[in-house]
Amino acid sequence: MHRRFFFLTVWAFSFLSSLAIAIAGAAEQNGSHRQTWKTVAELSEAEKSRLDFRVDTPRDTTVPYLPAEAYPFKPPYTAEEMGYRAMEFPHIARWSHAMADVFGAITGNGFLDEGITLAYSYYIPDEDGVLGQLSMTPGEAYFRMVFFYTYPPENQGLQDLWILRRTDKEETTKLDNFIYSPTLRRVRRQPQPRRDAQFPNNVQTFDDVVGRDAWEFSWRLLGTDVLHKTVRFPNTRPTVTLAKPDGSFDEVPSDHIKMLGDTYPHYTEDGGVGCYVVEATRRKDWLPHYRMGRLIYWLDKHSFYPLRIEQYDNDNQLRVIEVRNAYLVNPALEERGYAGLFTVYYDIALDLMSYSAHDAHWVKEWSQEDQDTMFEPDFMRRNWLKYPLKSQSLVYSPEKFFLRPLLYPDKFPQDRSVAISAELAQRYRLQEEAGHLVFDISSPLIEVKAQQ
Amino acid sequence: MHGKRGLISVVCRVLGGLLLLAISTNVSPCYGYFMDKQVDKVVNTWSRFDRFLSTFDPAGRYVRQPVERQIPALTFRGFLRQWSDVQLSGDRRVGNRRKDFRFSQMQNLLELELHYQVSPNIEITNINNFIYDGVYNWQDSAGLFASRTSETFRAYHNFERIVRELYVSYRTHNLDVVLGKQQIAWGKMDGQFIDVINGMDRRESVQLEASDYEWRRLPVWMANATYFFGANSLNFLWIPNFEQDRNPVPGSPWYSPLAPPRDTETKALLDGRQDATGDQFRETKRPSAGDFGDHQYGLRLDVSMEPLTWGLIYYYAWNKNPTSFIVDRDIDAAGDPHLTFQPRFTRMHHLGITADYASALSNMPLVGELPMVLRVEGLWTKDVPFADFDHQQAARDGSLNSGIIRRDTLRAAIALEFAFPGNTSAIIQPSLLYTFDWRRNLGGGFGGGIGDEMSLLPVFFVGRPFRFTRDRLRLELTVVPVISLPQKKWQGIKTKFVSSYRFSQFVTGRLIYTAFSSGDRTDLYGQYNKWDNIGWELSYEF
Repeated sequence: MHRRFFFLTVWAFSFLSSLAIAIAGAAEQNGSHRQTWKTVAELSEAEKSRLDFRVDTPRDTTVPYLPAEAYPFKPPYTAEEMGYRAMEFPHIARWSHAMADVFGAITGNGFLDEGITLAYSYYIPDEDGVLGQLSMTPGEAYFRMVFFYTYPPENQGLQDLWILRRTDKEETTKLDNFIYSPTLRRVRRQPQPRRDAQFPNNVQTFDDVVGRDAWEFSWRLLGTDVLHKTVRFPNTRPTVTLAKPDGSFDEVPSDHIKMLGDTYPHYTEDGGVGCYVVEATRRKDWLPHYRMGRLIYWLDKHSFYPLRIEQYDNDNQLRVIEVRNAYLVNPALEERGYAGLFTVYYDIALDLMSYSAHDAHWVKEWSQEDQDTMFEPDFMRRNWLKYPLKSQSLVYSPEKFFLRPLLYPDKFPQDRSVAISAELAQRYRLQEEAGHLVFDISSPLIEVKAQQ
Repeated sequence: MHGKRGLISVVCRVLGGLLLLAISTNVSPCYGYFMDKQVDKVVNTWSRFDRFLSTFDPAGRYVRQPVERQIPALTFRGFLRQWSDVQLSGDRRVGNRRKDFRFSQMQNLLELELHYQVSPNIEITNINNFIYDGVYNWQDSAGLFASRTSETFRAYHNFERIVRELYVSYRTHNLDVVLGKQQIAWGKMDGQFIDVINGMDRRESVQLEASDYEWRRLPVWMANATYFFGANSLNFLWIPNFEQDRNPVPGSPWYSPLAPPRDTETKALLDGRQDATGDQFRETKRPSAGDFGDHQYGLRLDVSMEPLTWGLIYYYAWNKNPTSFIVDRDIDAAGDPHLTFQPRFTRMHHLGITADYASALSNMPLVGELPMVLRVEGLWTKDVPFADFDHQQAARDGSLNSGIIRRDTLRAAIALEFAFPGNTSAIIQPSLLYTFDWRRNLGGGFGGGIGDEMSLLPVFFVGRPFRFTRDRLRLELTVVPVISLPQKKWQGIKTKFVSSYRFSQFVTGRLIYTAFSSGDRTDLYGQYNKWDNIGWELSYEF
């Protein structure tokens, strides 16, 4: 009986402390800036002049789920049009290129898993970007990607071929997937990954990698915000080594890496990036069985680059936060030429974090010979690493992993709810105090217990 | 029986401990509230050890990386693997076997793989295996003596086995040419259907798994050229070198208990204490690499017509196992007839097809869309030699003949692979082995039914990782029943349960339970009823 009472007391204490810590930690979790967000009602007339608040805009005559206005649209923008513009920026850039994709995941107690894959991407349509995808008919392939794993040793030589297809309600297959396993020595077709299922020991889903189609969601503008931090480096990692396609390396101070690169012309005076905050709610007729009920995007106001994406499950619980740093990789495409450099995904329920660094990004027009051979299933069994790229962007040590993303618990309270456990709040607090991830949090908690 | 129970109990305790350990790695230190400080300390200590282990890679750091820095054109990797199987049955006689051993495998394998990039188009590859199996030395067993007839069962000791692969590859956009010692895996399915190019080390007999083919195939010297045109390719093999299957020999753990004579007699023959009696076997005649007419040839066409890919193969090859032809007949002093057999390899023609197709089932209850892949594979083999026991009896009775007839065989399978939620995959793979124009009193032959006209093997597999362990724990179950018709019917079932755990991205551990249940003692799996075992694998890759 006493023991039961003790457990109840402890549970009640932990629940209350969770609230207390959440409130006390709000400053850290918001960053140190003053209120930066505005709801739609709080927008100025000048801000409203660039926005179209209609939800029922005219439809395209041939494809009824597309807006009638020609892409890439002109101001004023509807939330839906912003969603289409944000489609330009999935995790993997929408143009032909090669890169070293460095990735990893870390558990709450510091178990680190990392890898490197060389990604060769061939964007098939004549036109890059969303227009290229829209120019294909549903069912047609528009993007081919080969991934050649070089690290860790257990995956060396493993290869993946992804052939992305444009989908609609009838043509639902989004991916043809083949793998080459060095231990099987075979190319095997795989079932396409479930679009909303996280990869093993990772936060990313297949849709996180290839992007979501705007027509599968209904869109709503929540307001505007100014972001000052997205991906955060720990103080244990003062510099990052970044590679160039020619094989040379640059040692870059990690606090010099800006959210949208050095050339982005629209930073605020204090280094922030002005964003539209839009909500995408899944359309049940398009996505009847989807794990995520809605997503909230922070889109840079000029290019509509998503710097932060929050995923809410069907119970409206915040499950995943994705934050990105990007830079202008493909200047020929102007504001559509941004691509991710570092991306961090955070699963709040699992306290699992994964990252991806797109190193040595090489905008590349593939020769006809490469187009004909490199992006076919059979090519993989040749085991031919034709364009080797190097990277030294691995984290290597749990203590040097990225910080958990900021939670911003008090932004847009009418549309967002951020509830975290007492333990997680404690981890956040320790992380913010130390400037790096803290894995062993038992001692402070025992002190809390002693205070009872 | 008591021994088996005791061992199961120990194994259960070990498994339970490992599961607790696995869970503890993901138990939040917050639960320290509900634990006493000592448990809390253990969890935190394990957590620290876990972090240390996640980056523990001494061979990578102190061997691979320095070597690759010194020689940038060299890529170097390898692994060290210890894998052991413990039999769950105690000492006993099973058929002709003296089964007095607990460990059927205590193998230690070091693999070193080197790739040297001579130029952008030319690469030299070398893969070496160093293997030592402790079962013949590390336990006291009268039933294990295979190393007396073949040292390879204990350790790889010669160039042929240690240097598994050594080849140079030349690549252009449209052409691949690979010359040297290599292994080739044709096909798309789990199991061997059109994967027939190389011989196989089948020392594990019915326990040989598709996941081990990479280390059990027997590479041979060959020329391998592939021409690529668009999404299609044409592959040509010229194989002067011949390597047969290596089956379990008397005194090895998986030698069939059905095969006479008894172990004691075999050892007496080996010791020279007894002379061979009965039928005589001459030395096996093997194909010669020096004879152009003895070489093997293969052709493979692969076509991609998305979402369908398919391929055709033709392989003019030697049977990987010799066939014993009757060449003579004698009458001994007692008036009993004895036959003289000449084992030799025979030519066969293989024609095969392979295809796969991807799709998704929409609006499935509970799971919504269900992605799936269909794979089909089949191999038709012409002129497979079968021992004909009616003909043998006729030879004994005085009507001398080869004792062999030839039949065509078909082995084929259809596999359906589904991607369920939670990264759960399930495969249903009905397989068929069929002998055309079969008749009673035939022995075994390549690709045919197992002691019967046809055998059906409806394989079922399910596997999934567990998110609460951050997908480090993965469980898999494979069930392989065998049904042979029209004579033998049920031949037993093989059940394999695998629990694998990623200690880090360099170190992986696996616990494997394999059981052979039901079936008659003369059946494929039934004969191994007493070979149920638990194995473990610990692998460090660098």
